[in-house]
Amino acid sequence: MDGHDRGVKVVARGLRDAGFHVIYTGLWQTPEAVIRTVADEDADFLGISILSGAHLTIVPRLMELLKAQGLDNVGVFVGGIIPEADVPKLMAMGVVRVFGPGTSIQEAVDFLRPFAQSAVTQA
Amino acid sequence: MSMTFAEVWERFLRRDRRALARLLTWIARGEQIANIQAALRGLPAIPDQNRVIAFTGSGGVGKSTLVGKMIANFRHAGESVAVLACDPESPLTGGALLGDRLRMPNYPDDDGVYVRSLATPSGHEAVPDQLDLMVQLLHQFGFHQVLIETVGAGQGDTAVRQRADVLVVLVQPEAGDDVQWEKAGLLEVADLVVVHKADLPGADRTEAQVKALLNLPGCRPIPVLRVSSSKNIGLDELRQGILAQPSRRGIRLRNANTLLRLAQAAWVDLLHAHPETWKPILEQWQSGRINDDEAARQMLSLDKSTGSITS
Repeated sequence: MDGHDRGVKVVARGLRDAGFHVIYTGLWQTPEAVIRTVADEDADFLGISILSGAHLTIVPRLMELLKAQGLDNVGVFVGGIIPEADVPKLMAMGVVRVFGPGTSIQEAVDFLRPFAQSAVTQA
Repeated sequence: MSMTFAEVWERFLRRDRRALARLLTWIARGEQIANIQAALRGLPAIPDQNRVIAFTGSGGVGKSTLVGKMIANFRHAGESVAVLACDPESPLTGGALLGDRLRMPNYPDDDGVYVRSLATPSGHEAVPDQLDLMVQLLHQFGFHQVLIETVGAGQGDTAVRQRADVLVVLVQPEAGDDVQWEKAGLLEVADLVVVHKADLPGADRTEAQVKALLNLPGCRPIPVLRVSSSKNIGLDELRQGILAQPSRRGIRLRNANTLLRLAQAAWVDLLHAHPETWKPILEQWQSGRINDDEAARQMLSLDKSTGSITS
């Protein structure tokens, strides 16, 4: 949903190489479009990359839409530029994990691995 | 959403998109195949005017973009559309990066559009196993047209023809001389050829080459259409051309390979339902006490020796 896609593509590729099925939705998606993708693709996780500083606006909207659609079971993880102080706020909204700058692909893989055989949607 | 098959099926019949999504996941994983087949048998036949339309062509020719345009075109004509977008799965890791949606417009408010990405294992002829079953589900859910985008291997994906009513082959300008078309093997299975990116220089020449090749004496006449997705040229003509093709349904399924695929799916389903019966074999094989051949042989003799798997 951000206008930057370098980071999200690196993560998508890393997860692909670790054996995950990753659906990349592209830049500038609306929250509604992302949620439709998660539902139609029957995704287990939703990864979002936000560098714009809008995470405290976008994430609550996404969580609300997921809930409204009965998609509470979908794990949401967030990457990008998230200030340390905002991490607890995102976790309180139901985000399962925030990956800050400098996170290795391996950390993300190790986090998702226990849920193997999963599809991951990225936006 | 962990639900039993019966629960999911009941929701599918009520046209719940998430149930449809879950059924497609199961099929993609090779699970619940026999249950789904049995449940589908109880539903009415699919109307003849519903089509399965496959789009193929080499990478970069614009399959995703054109499919995206055709979603809108069919919608304007009052037809609902489901898309199965196939992308390759790594033979090494089993991973896949599915990026076809990226080039298709998103319709979050339109229930008449459904797009699903499918990872396609290598060596599977550019479309996944059990594609027919997925198509049946989508038609039964109520989608008029099912569009299939192949992985676009280019020279090896002619197998998709027997899964589709209409096979649209995309070519683009400056993609090789006329001998290249001769050897591609793709044009000979086409029901319709699209010269895509027809706004680019060289489209005339490519169209002439393809027409010359297809109109050799003794060949069935194949329509060749010039289409430009970026300039919105030829899209209506393509839709009309597709719908003018006769349906191949009913004659496309019944060959030896299809029967083998059905048998394999039913067998794997049965095994999935009774993991305890083959756990000892799995353990012996994993620990190296028996080799691949022996493990496979023991698996094959399971139903007779244990008597615990019955359909």
